[in-house]
Amino acid sequence: MEKLVGMVLLAGELLLTCGAEMYRVEETIERMGISAGFAQVESFATPTGLFLSLHTSDGRVYTRVRRIRRSFSNLALISEINAISRSFSSGETTIEDVTTRLKGLKKEGVPHNFLRLLMGGMGAAAFTVLYSGSGIEALIAGIIGLIILLIDNKLEDYPIPNALVAAVGAAVAAGLAKGAALLLTINTNVITLGAVMILAPGVVMTTAIRDMLSGELVSGVTRGAEALSIAVGIATGVAIILSMGGN
Amino acid sequence: MVVQVLAGFVSAVAFAFIYNVPRSEIFRTGILGGLGWLTFSLTKDAGGEVGAMFLGATSVALCSELFARRYKQPVIIFLVPGVIPLVPGGRAYLTMLSFLQHDYNEGVTLLVSTFFLAGAVAAGIIIASSIFRVYSRAKYVRRQL
Repeated sequence: MEKLVGMVLLAGELLLTCGAEMYRVEETIERMGISAGFAQVESFATPTGLFLSLHTSDGRVYTRVRRIRRSFSNLALISEINAISRSFSSGETTIEDVTTRLKGLKKEGVPHNFLRLLMGGMGAAAFTVLYSGSGIEALIAGIIGLIILLIDNKLEDYPIPNALVAAVGAAVAAGLAKGAALLLTINTNVITLGAVMILAPGVVMTTAIRDMLSGELVSGVTRGAEALSIAVGIATGVAIILSMGGN
Repeated sequence: MVVQVLAGFVSAVAFAFIYNVPRSEIFRTGILGGLGWLTFSLTKDAGGEVGAMFLGATSVALCSELFARRYKQPVIIFLVPGVIPLVPGGRAYLTMLSFLQHDYNEGVTLLVSTFFLAGAVAAGIIIASSIFRVYSRAKYVRRQL
């Protein structure tokens, strides 16, 4: 029984740390708990903590609390856990198998590979085109995007608030764009904009909306506030550089 | 416009990489990014910016829900990269710029329009997801009977 409780708790914890919506966390816990043979499963998930109690059919209750201190956005993990919980519910995999797979996933954070940086740069270039920048401006934005993703990857290893990480990235982007403008005749605004767009808190923003919609008021509001604080961080970073030395 | 739709595709794919979307789904998220921007540019002249943004977000969210059911993946895998090109980052940037230059009239005007555009995106997601929620609830109830 202890093993089953641990497995369900681990699945919920992993989903929370990689940025899943609350209803998905609670639904997964419920589905896995019921398939594991518990009579009743109650869970309450918030972005910073998870509470769950599992009732057995002979009247015992297992209750666990797990504090979530760190979270990141990794959609592949959500998809993976979704697949694991589906196959467990349909009885295709054993508890041991599920537990080892979950433990393996726990070690993964956000992958820091070169392809991710390169695609981030491409994204910055694409945003510059979307905001009607020219080819050369898109190229510069792409290079800047790559650099700020690299910096933010390094900063994420330290306990720095997300808003500050975003602010540093945005300040570097604005500074580099201004520097490039000294050499070339380009529109710095389009470049800075394209580069900082890749810092936008996409997952947090979308899950905030979806949480609100499914009646998860607590996490909807807290995630909305988190997205807002990151957006303010980006704006602050750019504003500091822009207000230095006029235009 | 073709270039812009293509840019929408690329930016969605880029976000799919940044948020580590499973490799098999990356092309599909790109299609959603392009679709959102295509809907937005086609309806912008007829429906105004806010209306076009709403339609763009609704089309992306509807297709995300369809893809999620079709390919057995969580909805947010498609939804997050898909709506990213529609987020009014440009307007938010110009708002900040106006305030920095002490042009408060322009700043407030831009701020309000940023809020409307962001609200349109949120409303699009909410409405599309609600439709699917009602639909699956109805299917569930029918199965119970």
